[in-house]
Amino acid sequence: MSTTTPTVAVTTPPAVRPGLGGVVRWETRKLRHQKRAWAVLLGALLGPVPVVMVIGAQSRPPKDSLFGRFATENGFALALLVLGFASQWVLPLLTAIVAGDIFASEDQHGTWKTVLTRSTGRGLLFWAKTLVAGAFAVLVLVVLAASTIAAALLIVGHQPVIGLSGQTVPSASALALVSASWATVLAPTLGFTALAILLSVWSRNPAVGIAAPVVVAMVMQLVGSLGGIEGLRPFLLTTSFESWHGLLTAPRFTGPLVEGVVVCGVWVVVSLTVAYVLLRRRDITGG
Amino acid sequence: MLAVEATDVSKTFGTVRAVDDITVRVAQGEVYGVLGPNGAGKTTFLRMLFGLIRPDHGTIRVFGRTWEHDDVAVLDGVAGFIESPKFYPYLTGRQNLEGLVLLDGGVRPGLLEEVIELVDLGDRVDLEVGGYSYGMRQRLGVAASLLREPRLLVLDEPANGLDPAGIRDMRALVKRLAASGLTVLLSSHHMDEVEEICDNVTIMTRGRVAFHGSITDLRAMAPAPGYDLRTDADDRALLVAADHPRVQVDLRDDLGLVVTATETDAAAYVADLCARGIALRALVPTRTPLEALFFMLTDEPETDDRAHPDGGAAGRPAGATTGAR
Amino acid sequence: MTTLRSLTPRAVGVALAVLLAVVGLGAIAVAANGGPGSSTVTRARLERSLPVVFANVYAEQARLLGHTGVTPASLDAQAMCDKGGAQSADVGPGSTWVCLMSWTDTNVPMPSEGYGKFELNVHSNDCYTAGGPSKLTGYLTLTDTRGREVSNPAFEFDGCFDPGGDDTPTGHTFPSVTSVISTTAAVDARGRVGVQLGCGTGADGCVGTATLTAGSTTLGTVPYEMTEESTTMLHFPTASPAGATEVELTLTPATGYASSSGSTLPVQ
Repeated sequence: MSTTTPTVAVTTPPAVRPGLGGVVRWETRKLRHQKRAWAVLLGALLGPVPVVMVIGAQSRPPKDSLFGRFATENGFALALLVLGFASQWVLPLLTAIVAGDIFASEDQHGTWKTVLTRSTGRGLLFWAKTLVAGAFAVLVLVVLAASTIAAALLIVGHQPVIGLSGQTVPSASALALVSASWATVLAPTLGFTALAILLSVWSRNPAVGIAAPVVVAMVMQLVGSLGGIEGLRPFLLTTSFESWHGLLTAPRFTGPLVEGVVVCGVWVVVSLTVAYVLLRRRDITGG
Repeated sequence: MLAVEATDVSKTFGTVRAVDDITVRVAQGEVYGVLGPNGAGKTTFLRMLFGLIRPDHGTIRVFGRTWEHDDVAVLDGVAGFIESPKFYPYLTGRQNLEGLVLLDGGVRPGLLEEVIELVDLGDRVDLEVGGYSYGMRQRLGVAASLLREPRLLVLDEPANGLDPAGIRDMRALVKRLAASGLTVLLSSHHMDEVEEICDNVTIMTRGRVAFHGSITDLRAMAPAPGYDLRTDADDRALLVAADHPRVQVDLRDDLGLVVTATETDAAAYVADLCARGIALRALVPTRTPLEALFFMLTDEPETDDRAHPDGGAAGRPAGATTGAR
Repeated sequence: MTTLRSLTPRAVGVALAVLLAVVGLGAIAVAANGGPGSSTVTRARLERSLPVVFANVYAEQARLLGHTGVTPASLDAQAMCDKGGAQSADVGPGSTWVCLMSWTDTNVPMPSEGYGKFELNVHSNDCYTAGGPSKLTGYLTLTDTRGREVSNPAFEFDGCFDPGGDDTPTGHTFPSVTSVISTTAAVDARGRVGVQLGCGTGADGCVGTATLTAGSTTLGTVPYEMTEESTTMLHFPTASPAGATEVELTLTPATGYASSSGSTLPVQ
């Protein structure tokens, strides 16, 4: 310790209160210093390239998946095949790597007491973290979509593609439809972001926050594919991952898209509300 | 207006009553000690003060504000740390402080450099916290607290885990801060630390207040100090004690004598021994008065499953709980 | 609340809440949709979707083959769909969907029953894969007008339909095909001949009479009645004459379709 007399004088308490912007900047800065965030972005950027190359080089197209039968000869079909694959667990995982950790890492590092003894309330901190996790999910999706579409079109080609009504979609409108299809999975992706936040707040464990949403996604996928309990299908987050099908038919149908956005919205609101209440009420005893 | 006014505060975790109906009042400008053995509920109390834990019962006012009405505004002018300060290991010390500044809504220009200078972190402030030693983290914790330019500084066992030089520096720093008019609330399990720094003290044990008052009052309650005495003729020395009514001398089980008396009385007794030709081999003070009192106060009544080896030997003062509430 | 929370282990509380939420959601879902059988995969939706998808891919196939005058509209494709025969309800995903479809293409005439049979694997996500008879829709690849081997868009194709689309019955029906399943005429100890008949997918099953002759001898005329996608064994009353090597079965359908030419079966 310095032996000089402290220059820190007793002054009036700081009247300034941090705004959401400042706290968001702080959370963003922490994220920028985390290797895993960069790893996710890099994976989203570079991952599609080998995937596209490997599928494009198959001698037998993967017919079991939608658009699989044209995937080896048509870039648009391949980009949509990868979208179907990404929806299974890749997107839930990519968003959960940040959203599932953003609250639980404070438990991991014991830093709740550090940040909660400043001038930032729990509510403000919650919304800042949620905003950052949501923005990251958007960023990851945009990068993954752009990389996949670009790789597919450059490596496999951009011929007209046969849509889900058997209609031939010309290249120009195909690009718009494929991009729009990728955009539609934003709603369920944000649903999984909110779910990861809830699990992160609840479990206080980054491993649970990251892995559990992936498991939930797989279970939802399974439940959604089972016959007999199809009444549950509309309420699952994973159902919205397939609502883009309506964009590739002629005429288009957008009922599932609208329904999916509403269902995902409900998931987001419920997850965030529960997470918010849990965080507000919890006793910070660790750290 | 009191800096801290905690009234009838209780907190139970599961079946453990961590804080049991305590009342603590800290005036502005004083240096206040919360003293107690580990597990006495000091940290739980301080966490409640910071709003990290919600009390089951009772109210805590900080500069007149409560969490119920003012939310995080309670912490305006309050800073400190609970247990060992924690930071983000993947950020440098400076990045951690800059981040906390964002959470404070900003600081006056130059303050960041001032506090880094004050806690003497030097160039190491630009290294990742993951590589910091315990003492460096403790300094960073102090720096983080001073960034808030607090009126009330709460320090939980600030000297814990520090080497003797670190302890000395930390105490010097607290004293300097206190001298600048800051209210300091300090928790400790070392009586000497509190005795050296604090004006008033609350002694806690098992979640309850065992004493509440000034250090002066505490000293008045303190029992006579104890000494270990070795002579070349312990049985004769024991007989001499009969002439000194204010000196209590007991034969120890193994060898030697235990003398309980004030410093003056003990000196008179020893001088008498020498005058009677009894040679002194050793006279060792075993316990300061306040330490003795601390162990007495924190000694558990009835079921003593905590078993303080030192406290067990001391008697129980009649007015042990007079200071409570 | 705080005391309640500190008394109840957090994990148990949240697990219970999640369980309640799931059960509640499930109950709402079932109540809202009128029971677990309420799939969006229905006969009417498939009957509307399949002809559209097929007409598109078939027209594309015709373009590749250089057939002129084939457009999705000119094909006038119509379908009748059925899941798992007469017994199961025509609703829900599965791989037992069969659709009978008719269309008009002068380049490739329809068989005499007037339709082709398509097998569908329908998924719960309202998408399906369909494959038709190779005689009508060709094989995996085809040779296009420029002599290149290209994949045949009509050989097997995917389609999706609107789960909220029109679900009123289309009214399209096709008759079942009555066919002889036996490859030989089985003769029992008393010389009587037995022949097995099958009834294919279609409306109202198969009803009619079967006449068996051995040379100039009529071995009998017996009635038959089958539901769709079922079989029946016919026994003819008159014993087959000694030395007859083959018999001829002629079907006279009252309901359903049967080939007007008789079937000749060797006698065993």
